[in-house]
Amino acid sequence: MKKAVFLAAVLSAAVTISGCTEKAPEPGSIAGFDEGEKYIEMWTYTIEDTPEGEACKESVESFNEAFDGKYFAHVQFIPRNDNGGGYADKINASVISGDLPDVIAVDGPNISAYAANGIIQPLAELTDEEKGVYLESIIDQGTVDGKLYALGAMESSVGLYYNKDILAQAGIDIPDAARPWTWTEFSEILEKLKPIMEEKNGYPIDMTFPVGETSIYLYAPFIWSNGGDLVSPDGLTADGYFNSDSNLEAFEYFKMLADKGYMSKTPIEQLFESGRAAFKIDGAWEVNIIYESYPDINLGVAPYIVGDNWDGEKYAPSGSWAYAATTNTNDLEASTELIKWISGTDSSMLLFEKYKSLPSTYEAYEKIKEFSEDENYKALYVQLRDYGHPRPKTPVYPQVSTVFQQTIEDVALSGMDAREELDKSVERINAKLSRYNRNNE
Amino acid sequence: MAFFGPALVLLTVFLFIPMILTLIFSFTDYFALSPSLTHFTGLGNYISIFKDEMFLKAFINTVKFVIIIVPLQGGGALALALLINRVTYCKKYFKVAFFVPVVMSLAVVSTLWMQIYSPEGILNTLLGKIGIDPQPFIYGADQALPSIAIMSSWQGMGYQMIIFLGGLQAINPGLYEAAEMDHASAWKKFKDITLPELKPLCVFVFITITIGAFKMIVQPMVMTGGGPSHSTYTLVYDIYETGTVNWEIGLASTMAIVFIAFIVVLTVIQTILTRDKEDKEEKK
Repeated sequence: MKKAVFLAAVLSAAVTISGCTEKAPEPGSIAGFDEGEKYIEMWTYTIEDTPEGEACKESVESFNEAFDGKYFAHVQFIPRNDNGGGYADKINASVISGDLPDVIAVDGPNISAYAANGIIQPLAELTDEEKGVYLESIIDQGTVDGKLYALGAMESSVGLYYNKDILAQAGIDIPDAARPWTWTEFSEILEKLKPIMEEKNGYPIDMTFPVGETSIYLYAPFIWSNGGDLVSPDGLTADGYFNSDSNLEAFEYFKMLADKGYMSKTPIEQLFESGRAAFKIDGAWEVNIIYESYPDINLGVAPYIVGDNWDGEKYAPSGSWAYAATTNTNDLEASTELIKWISGTDSSMLLFEKYKSLPSTYEAYEKIKEFSEDENYKALYVQLRDYGHPRPKTPVYPQVSTVFQQTIEDVALSGMDAREELDKSVERINAKLSRYNRNNE
Repeated sequence: MAFFGPALVLLTVFLFIPMILTLIFSFTDYFALSPSLTHFTGLGNYISIFKDEMFLKAFINTVKFVIIIVPLQGGGALALALLINRVTYCKKYFKVAFFVPVVMSLAVVSTLWMQIYSPEGILNTLLGKIGIDPQPFIYGADQALPSIAIMSSWQGMGYQMIIFLGGLQAINPGLYEAAEMDHASAWKKFKDITLPELKPLCVFVFITITIGAFKMIVQPMVMTGGGPSHSTYTLVYDIYETGTVNWEIGLASTMAIVFIAFIVVLTVIQTILTRDKEDKEEKK
């Protein structure tokens, strides 16, 4: 009897444990992986049979062809969910178990945290020429403490979209990219549009403050273009930055937009897409959505609005997922080679073709005809090229992102005191930062 | 003996060891991105979570949710069970209809109700027809938590309804016949026969709803993200955010331990309060 218990225990233990470790496969065990090639394992966050996943797979396949006999890359798709779970959970678990692959996809703002905690390492040296092909915002995003950790295959930005028909009806002209509307000018425009939009049972602007990463991505320019910032340049404190007077103005501007009824306090679906809003602030993906699904909307992209004291600083949203080499990689050279390939012009162009994400290299923008022929894509590119600003670089970025969204909601929608909320937010961010400040002492 | 060997191993690996680890982690500053730098911090985490405004807010929200949902769901389930017990036609249909939400995943139900609660959704359109202004529901800090509670009780009610229905059918019909002989009113029959007979079930239902409600996370995660202004931020949500989004496993473990301790204490209190008088006398 006891023997049986023991046997059953051993068997089930074996089953449980064997599921946990992953070994590098032998040559020949995967189609295309031959003797003498270096194996590179890569993880990405997309679903395999989506346009984005297919583009990734094709890029890796072309890498394997180009480096046949030298390297072999294998990509594993670990889908993420909207909250950033799934893929991120897998990375966290692998940090603990030590099973990280050679190359991982990292969302732009997480690069700092991953670097600070020794999950990813700086890439092998890139020449200035190699670096020069990428948009400044890509290099900016991937650099922590002067070292380049990650390169992205795509960029993104946020547009101030407008309905051309409505603005023409109201007699409003669009400024050029070097002289965007200031907040004061913009609120005058919204005031002018209000009666027109009320007739259409709509609002001057389609704005929401969604939970998750979206809010900080869409609205951080209000902070930057007003001379403010969310955290200190070293990313280790929020005091004096998040709660600065210029940020207070930004949050009060949001409150004014909601209080004066320029935007709906509750999110109404397809407000802009159904022609019931004159403006909308949303990610670059909106252009393709309008083109594909709402051809009746006469879409234009205006330069993102700026604070009244803006002096030409960079302020436009930028950044997307990027690839980095983990500290677990056996061969940094090989990993860097793969990262350069999948973030390069060809991969970027493939992604645009399938997924309509903004490319990461200058050459790709020149080669894709939409960026010279289509004024909306062109406007987004110019904004990104000239004014792209990376998201705050701090190891506690997730907390900054959460707190930012909650503060907007508290101040603009729930009518709480802005000064008090900003100070509370600083406390919450700094509480998470204490770990990093302690380690530095 | 042998038959529970495999179960024991699996339970050990997936339940007991994690439970013990959680207890150990709760005394450390375990950080998911740099596990090698873990230190013991004694009771530091316990002190800091009780000073943490978000944790306390999450705690209060959760208690509020429980207070709303327990009578709503328990009472609703009992009412449904009584109704179904009386109808003579389409009994199966009603049973299935009320039970279907239980089978659906909470994420699906939440998405469905987002449509119902949306500013231009079904509910607001109906309210508009009877002259009531559109309500923000899950988008307003005052209404979000009650809105979610109503949805959740609708979703969970069917399960308790089936339990009550079983209980009702087990009541000896002789009791009702005797009551009728004495010309007892319907209310008296309910109060003096149905309720006392269902009492053990009520206790069970009461406790399971309470524990389930304390664990609430899916609904705010899908519908509101804990907002607006943290009005739907619950304890388990806070544990999740701390542990997986902010990578602070140590702190999250502490929250989990405090949470478990609270639930255990609460359940014990509930059991004592609802214990039958005879039980108490027997104990003496």
